Formats: sequence, C-alpha cells, structure tokens
Amino acid sequence: MNLTRDRLRSAGWALILTICCAVTLALTFRVNAVKSQVRLAERQIVALKREKLFLETEFEARANQQQLKALNDVEFGYEAPKADQYIEGERQLASLGKPRGPGAPAPIRVAAVLPAGEEGSAFPAMVSPLTGKAMAAEVSEDTPRKPASSAGLRDRLTRIDPIVVGKAEATRE
Amino acid sequence: MSAISVATTTITTGRRQLVNVRQQSLLVAKWRALWVMGLFAVIAVCALLRILLLGFFEPAPASRGMADMLLPDRGEIRDRQGVPLARAFNAYALWFNPNALGGGSALVKSPREVANALARIFPDLDVEDIAARLASGKPGYLRRRILPEEANRIHALGEPALEFPRENQRFYPQGSMAAHILGFVGADGHGRVGMEQVFDGQLTDPATRGAPAVLSIDSRVQGALEDELGRGIRETNAKGAAGIVLDVDTGEVMALASLPSFNPNLIDMASTPNIFNRVSNQVYELGSTFKPITVAAAIDAGTVTDLSRRYQSARPIAIGGFQIRDSHSLGASLNVPEALIHSSNIVTAQIADELGSARLNATMRALGMNERPYIELPARGFPLWPKGDWSRITTMTVSYGHGIAVTPLHLASAYAALVNGGIWRPATLRKLDPGQVPQGRRVFKASTSARMRQLLRMIVVDGTGKKADAPGFRIGGKTGSAEKPGAGGYRRSSLVATFAAAFPMDRPRFVVIAMLDEPQGTAATSFQRTAAWNTAPIVGRVVPRVGPLLGVMPDDTRDVDITDLSPLVPGNASE
Repeated sequence: MNLTRDRLRSAGWALILTICCAVTLALTFRVNAVKSQVRLAERQIVALKREKLFLETEFEARANQQQLKALNDVEFGYEAPKADQYIEGERQLASLGKPRGPGAPAPIRVAAVLPAGEEGSAFPAMVSPLTGKAMAAEVSEDTPRKPASSAGLRDRLTRIDPIVVGKAEATRE
Repeated sequence: MSAISVATTTITTGRRQLVNVRQQSLLVAKWRALWVMGLFAVIAVCALLRILLLGFFEPAPASRGMADMLLPDRGEIRDRQGVPLARAFNAYALWFNPNALGGGSALVKSPREVANALARIFPDLDVEDIAARLASGKPGYLRRRILPEEANRIHALGEPALEFPRENQRFYPQGSMAAHILGFVGADGHGRVGMEQVFDGQLTDPATRGAPAVLSIDSRVQGALEDELGRGIRETNAKGAAGIVLDVDTGEVMALASLPSFNPNLIDMASTPNIFNRVSNQVYELGSTFKPITVAAAIDAGTVTDLSRRYQSARPIAIGGFQIRDSHSLGASLNVPEALIHSSNIVTAQIADELGSARLNATMRALGMNERPYIELPARGFPLWPKGDWSRITTMTVSYGHGIAVTPLHLASAYAALVNGGIWRPATLRKLDPGQVPQGRRVFKASTSARMRQLLRMIVVDGTGKKADAPGFRIGGKTGSAEKPGAGGYRRSSLVATFAAAFPMDRPRFVVIAMLDEPQGTAATSFQRTAAWNTAPIVGRVVPRVGPLLGVMPDDTRDVDITDLSPLVPGNASE
C-alpha cells in the first residue's frame, strides 16, 4: 500500500480545499440568486408603487373638488352644518347623558305600534352567512358584554366634569 | 550462488536508484501539492474577498437604484393637507405610428372611418383634421393626454397604428382648481406663471425633488371659494371674480382664486387669456373697503377720540373743482359708526382731512400699499400710488378708496392687520411652521384693532354687509362698490364690487375677500350692482362652507361685544 501518512494528509488537504471551493462556489451562487431575487423584488416594488401612484392620481382626478361638488349637487345636496348641529365639547356631550334631575319634567316619549306578529325589533335579525344562526346567538351568554372603552369614556368624563358625574352618582343612590 | 549475489547487487543498485527516484518524485509531489495549495489559497482568498465585497458593498447601489427609479422627474406640489395638486405622471398619449403594420397601408380601415371612431371617443375632436392627418401617413401626436378608459376604447378599435405610449407629463388632478397658484409646465420642462415657476429649482433638483413642495392653501377651501365665486359670476354676469382667504395671524394664503380660470392640463391645446391673475396682478380702485383703514388710522392717531361725534353729511364737499358726494342722501349728520354702516364718502373724507395727508400716507405705506404685494407668485401688480406729498383732495379720495389702485391681495393683508391686533405680515403661499411665522410690523395699536373689530361687525349686523351675516360665524366686513375709471371720468355703469371680511370677529382667524369685476344687476341680485347685493352674499356662503374646515365652528352664543357702540346707531339702542 503506497497510501502513506503524508499522502493521506495531502489528500485530506486537497479534499478540504475542494470542499471549501465547492462551498465558496455554492455560497457565491446562493448570494447571486438572493441578489437577483432582491432585484426582482425591488423591480416589483417599483412597478407596484408606480401603479399605486397611477391609481391614486386617477382617483384624485376623478374625486377632485369640482367633481365632488357636482356629485353633491346632483345626488346628495349636503350643506355645511349649522351652529345648532355642533356640540361645544365633551362637557356638553356628557350633559346629554345626564340622568334626570329631581323634579325635572319627564322626557317626551313617542308612541309606537309594533306590526302584528312581530316581537321585539322591527328589523329582521342579522343572520351569519357561515353558521346560518342569528348574529346575537353566536355570542356566548357567558361572556360579559360591555362597550369596548366604557372605562376610558367614564374616566375622561370624570376628568372633564367631576361635578356632573358626582351629581349623577348622587341621584342614582 | 553467484547468480544470487548478482541478483543481490542488482537489487541493491536498483533499490538505491529507486530510493533516489522516490525521493525526487516525492519532492515533485510536494512541490506540486504546494502549488496546488497556493492556488487554492489564492482562490479561497479571492472567494473570501468576493464574499466580503458582496456582503459589504453590493447592496448599496441596488437600493439607490430603487430610490432613483421612484424619483419623479419633477417634484410634487401638495396642499397643506397633503393633497397632491401637481405631480409628474406617466399619462397615456395618443400617437399615430404609420409603420406599425410594416409597410403598405398604415390603417386597417379607412382614415375617415378611424377618425369617426375616434370622434365617438373624443367628442371635441375635429374629424376632418384627424382624417387628413391619418391619410397623410406622417407619424405624430393625435392627442397629448388620454384617460386609461379612452386608451382601452382605442385599443378596442383594433388599429395597431394608434399607439398610446405612456409619457412623462405634468398632471394636475384637481383640473382648473388653483390654476393661478400652480401655473403650468412649459414644453421646455420649466414652470410658468405660478408656484411651478417659483419652485422650479427645487422641483427639478434631483436632491430635493423627492420631497413634495407644500403650499399653504387648503384644496377644500380653495374649491369652496372658487365654487361660490363662480356662482357669483353666473348670477351677475360679471366679467370676472377674485377671492382670497388669508390667515390673519400668519399671512398664509388658504385659498386664492381668480376667475375665469384655465385648465393647466390642457395648456398645450389652447393658449388661454385667463392666465392673468386678478388677485395679485390686477390693480383696482377698491372703493369703500378703504374706509375702515382710514377710520382706524384716525383712531390710532387720536384725531377721532369720540365715536359719537357727528360729521355733516348733507352737503357734498367741493374741493379743487371736484365734488365728493354720497350715493344717496344719508341725513344731515352722521357719527363714525353710522358713516361706516352707511358707507358715507363725505364723512370719511372729513375724517381723513382732519387726520392729514402725512399720517394717512404713512399708514398706507405701512400696509404696503405703495409696493408690489408680498407673495411668492411671479405676477404681482404695482399699485397706482399717488406720488409725492398728497394734496388735500388726494388724501380725501384715498380715504374712501379712489385715486389709489391696489390688488385685492393688498387689501387682504391690510384687513388682516386691521383685525389681528394691528400687525401687518406679508402674505405667503408656503406652509409655515409655527416657528417660521414672520414677526411683521405694527401698524395699528391693539386697542384700535379691537375697536375696528366692533365696527366691522356692526357693518354686517346693521349696515351694508347684512347679506354676509352667516349665523354663528360672527362675520365682520365692509362693502366696496367702486366705479371703474374710463374715458372722461368714472363710468357709473361698470363697477368693481368688493366685500372684505374677517371671521370670527370675537377672535379673528381669517380674512375673506370677494370681488366681482363689472357685475350686472340681475334678478338674483334684485337688479342691484353694488357689493351689498352681490359680493356680500358670496362671503356669506363661503364662510359657512370653509369655517368648519379651518377650525372655526359656528356658535350662536358668542360674538364680539358691540354693546358700547350699539346706542350710537339709532334703531339699535335696545340691543
């Protein structure tokens, strides 16, 4: 056997070098592949951004002030809101929900007649297209129902007008 | 035996040689291995360097390439809310390429049929002209800019010779809105007329054109102002109209309209005579709108200390062969609020006479009435300003807005100073940050300004400006109906009707000027030509539309306190 230790060593070196070379080559290919992918993605991004700009411009042109005015004149007839349609601030908004004070006149209630054969709401129940059940049935009874940000609103109202809230608590008790 | 010994010697020499050969070949092999190793080392180093190169230096140019690709050829112009008003845009053009079919006839159908088909897509097309151009077989633009849906319909015609290349053009999505502010881009790629010209360097420089140029105007306010001015023109058959909405505290122009307008998108199709800007370029004698300035100057100078003092108003003032008279008799005497409410020339002239020419002149100079208006627009008109020391008659006529001609923009800046506490600031079309607001210069005392707010509000509550009184917006202002000078004096039939207003009067935020050039009396204006009947209602309609957009909410419970002046106006004492 002429496979001496030296020979083995040099063969090993050659193998390592070959492997290194192959790895380098593969890495280079990989890098190039990723790079071209990046370039392709960039080209796509540019094309999409241009398309977006194009669509946005078209939208702006179709929805320009003059067109909106013409549309409003023909279709909607909206007008600028009047002074009595504004609420001064959160203080005034909160005062709308204030409980009736002692001795205050009862709010006017308008009589309503439900159509025969219908109980509760006059509107048909909203049915989920997936389950075929009414939307209200999907919410499990166990979960407590509350508005998303009741605490936040209450906090804010308390902060703005502690007197009104204080009064409200007092009347409730 | 000998044979064996021979063999032994042979072996010995052979072995010796073999050892020699083996040593040599080993040396060679080692050298070769060294060479190969060196080679591999070089390759490995090269590969390493390449990887490092890729890792560190390569991505940068690629990303710059993307930014470059997205960089517009000309920067965008936006309004203060970020709505694009002008942008570089690859719009479709309609190009006739006679060689598309590769020789022979350029078109599949006859030129006449194609021209008729095109005319169905573009109704304003000249069929004869297009048919002739298609028949001639010369390449050229049939239309510079077409919509995508029009391009689709042309594609459906099945004519390969009709091409629609996407070309880089300037596009104004809002059409003719704010055309005088924006201007347009000429065929050489440089801006003309408006802010396109002013921002030209910034919009074309690769370093800065990526970021949009931001204007001070609000496109919604601009749209409302143009719309109401257009309605005013239609109702009065006026020659034109001008309007401004100006922020009194910063000098920012929120809207600036000159009608009739032009469409910068179609600028290459028809050279338009409407490019002339009435707001910043045309000077007018703006008439009675100057009276509050005169009164303010008199209050400021201390020549009017008592607003209840009565001036005679029965007799015209004869001076220098000229008579100063009122449009109709206003009674024997008037005090200052009454003079403003009824717009008396006679009383204003007397107030100006007492004030003196030097002080009125100084006030007018301080308000910038003797120089071109301060704004970025290139087209700025020079006022017709009486030169030298003013004679008595000049002082008197200037006091009620005659003998001096300024642009509506001058008037807007002056009214801003009148109501904002007395500080004059230059108008600007650039959006200003709070820190960039110019210092301005004090023209009136704050107390004078407070008094003028009351007086201007009274004119709208009780006087000629009643039709401008939008509920809840606390508008104050002054009408002005000046006769236009013509051959041989003033022409009684052609007027310039102006209404200069500010709102809300309890804490003025914006000045609104509406002006109509030669309005006619129509049924809509009760057959009147004066500002009280045509421009005051325009302001009365504009303010409710723009007020909430600009952060001024209508409120019936607030107003500037005019109780101390109300008793001076009869029939008003109870209020």
